[in-house]
Amino acid sequence: MSWLRTLAAGAAAPIYPSIGAGMLAEVEQLFASAPGLRRAASPRDAALLLVAGDIPAEARPALDRLHDQLPHPRRTLAWKAGEPSTQISARLNEAWRDLAHGAPSEPDRLPDEPPNPWRGIGPHGQGGKGMMGGTPRGRPMAMTGADIRDGLELDRYTARVGPFAPMLPPGLTLELTLQGDVIVEAHVLSLPFPQPEEADLPALCAARMLRLLGLEGAADRMTRGHAPRAAWIRGAVPAGLGAWPGAGDARDRLDAWLSGRQEGGAPRDPARALPGLEWHEATLLLASFAPGTLRRALAEAQDLQEIPA
Amino acid sequence: MSVLLAAGVLVALALGIWLGAWFDRLAPALEGGRAAGPMAPLRDWAALLIRDQAETEAPDRMNRLLAPAWYLALAAIGLSVVPVAEGLALWHSPVGIVVWGSCEALIVITVFLHGWSPNAPFPLIGAYRYAAIGLPVMLPSMFVLIAAALPAESLSLIAIVDSQRDSWNLVRQPLGLPLFLVVGLTLTLRGPLDFAGGVDIAGGTSAEESGAGLFLWQVARLATLVAFSALAAAVFLGGPLGPLLPGPVWLALKTALVMALTVLAGRLIARTTPSRMLHVLWVWLLPLSFAHLAVSGMVAL
Repeated sequence: MSWLRTLAAGAAAPIYPSIGAGMLAEVEQLFASAPGLRRAASPRDAALLLVAGDIPAEARPALDRLHDQLPHPRRTLAWKAGEPSTQISARLNEAWRDLAHGAPSEPDRLPDEPPNPWRGIGPHGQGGKGMMGGTPRGRPMAMTGADIRDGLELDRYTARVGPFAPMLPPGLTLELTLQGDVIVEAHVLSLPFPQPEEADLPALCAARMLRLLGLEGAADRMTRGHAPRAAWIRGAVPAGLGAWPGAGDARDRLDAWLSGRQEGGAPRDPARALPGLEWHEATLLLASFAPGTLRRALAEAQDLQEIPA
Repeated sequence: MSVLLAAGVLVALALGIWLGAWFDRLAPALEGGRAAGPMAPLRDWAALLIRDQAETEAPDRMNRLLAPAWYLALAAIGLSVVPVAEGLALWHSPVGIVVWGSCEALIVITVFLHGWSPNAPFPLIGAYRYAAIGLPVMLPSMFVLIAAALPAESLSLIAIVDSQRDSWNLVRQPLGLPLFLVVGLTLTLRGPLDFAGGVDIAGGTSAEESGAGLFLWQVARLATLVAFSALAAAVFLGGPLGPLLPGPVWLALKTALVMALTVLAGRLIARTTPSRMLHVLWVWLLPLSFAHLAVSGMVAL
């Protein structure tokens, strides 16, 4: 099937970026302007894992799990600060051509087995009583609880998102308890990685929100420094979402960014505002603050919690 | 004869799938990006086919395999009732509109199964969101199609095309096509109505898909774009009716036009949050489509 491989080698390289400290803006600019590169929607959609910048030791296990989620054939490339984007772009294109032509794939970094033993009774390892409860494979079974908005008894489950999730600032890990996609509880397990001031530029901040609104093309255009061409941008952000005294709401902040202004206000303890929101709203809320502002606000809230009253 | 016709429709569907994929890759040029050449879709598909299909933990294997197959089959069935020339369709159904309506409803279930089967949170969220949005979109679809059937006094698509000899439904019922575009964006999982996917859920129902599985799903989405556009062309733009050129050529041109419109709308309109879209659909779109049916009914009388 060499013709299939030749054809594939000419495709845009499917890349999942794991963004470390200091490289957020550079990665965003790379995908908005470099030819022949495609930012994959999920690790499953990628063949190349781009490790941009330094990944702190505590995020290494997550990076290994992420690596193993890429289907074969796959390859990892590191992009250290200082390497020009034209160079990494050429390396990525070359790596994809090699893979397409049958270069060997990287093996798993972690053993392909459940993170926890079975530890259950019953045919499905559900443990607990009857069909409920228990912790099969170390993951607690979803139990019902009152819906945070109307009290309806629904299943709750707990999951972790981050630190390399595409919809969150790089580095941020949230432990969420969800009912459907409504957040019941949210805890910050790790803070976003520090980024240079360039990542707080209005155009880049607006582009992140546009991406969450499904406007991939407009976001790329914004990242390249032009006004976006799209309809219903402001209206798509629910009014009043993420409103804080002195900081306006998410729509106001997007408005400011679209007209090239830095947003002024900062949120107090933004993680506490997440319960009660649907997941899409929560991601919009987090993206409606510049990465630097959000990191400082989350760090301040953590310090407050650690000091005993 | 019918074997030849079936082969012709299948070839047209395959060409339409390629054209839709190319439109998707041309669209970035409108935003100052790069437009890809006509080979780009084939290259991207080859890139998917040479990669493995990743397994998830305890998936529903049967539905994972069947979801793209159902989606593709429903697109083909929907396309089969569209008249390709005056008085000629692959399936001469006296209730073509009902056949298409059933395909629409089953597509919602298929997309749900696609998100359900990998046994992972983000695909499942995409599945439930899509089911919630799909239901209120099916209702305007029904009103719009019934309104288009009124002047023809028939649910047959051949009769609906025939009723547009003097003036297209686009002129008689100007709200019909815009409302039906909302349905098209939903069925093809695009832009403002792609609630099965989205960056916030890492691609949603497709978040765990790779390799051949993802290829099939993308092809099925494009096949649905072709079927929807052909149906919209037949219902609102007179389908194969037109001067000089043969009927099938007119249908192909009109279908390509609706495909381009759908791709553009999908790319240029923002997607709001699911709960807000539910509000828009139930509170604004549904009454609007009902008013459209009432006005069209009075005009037809």
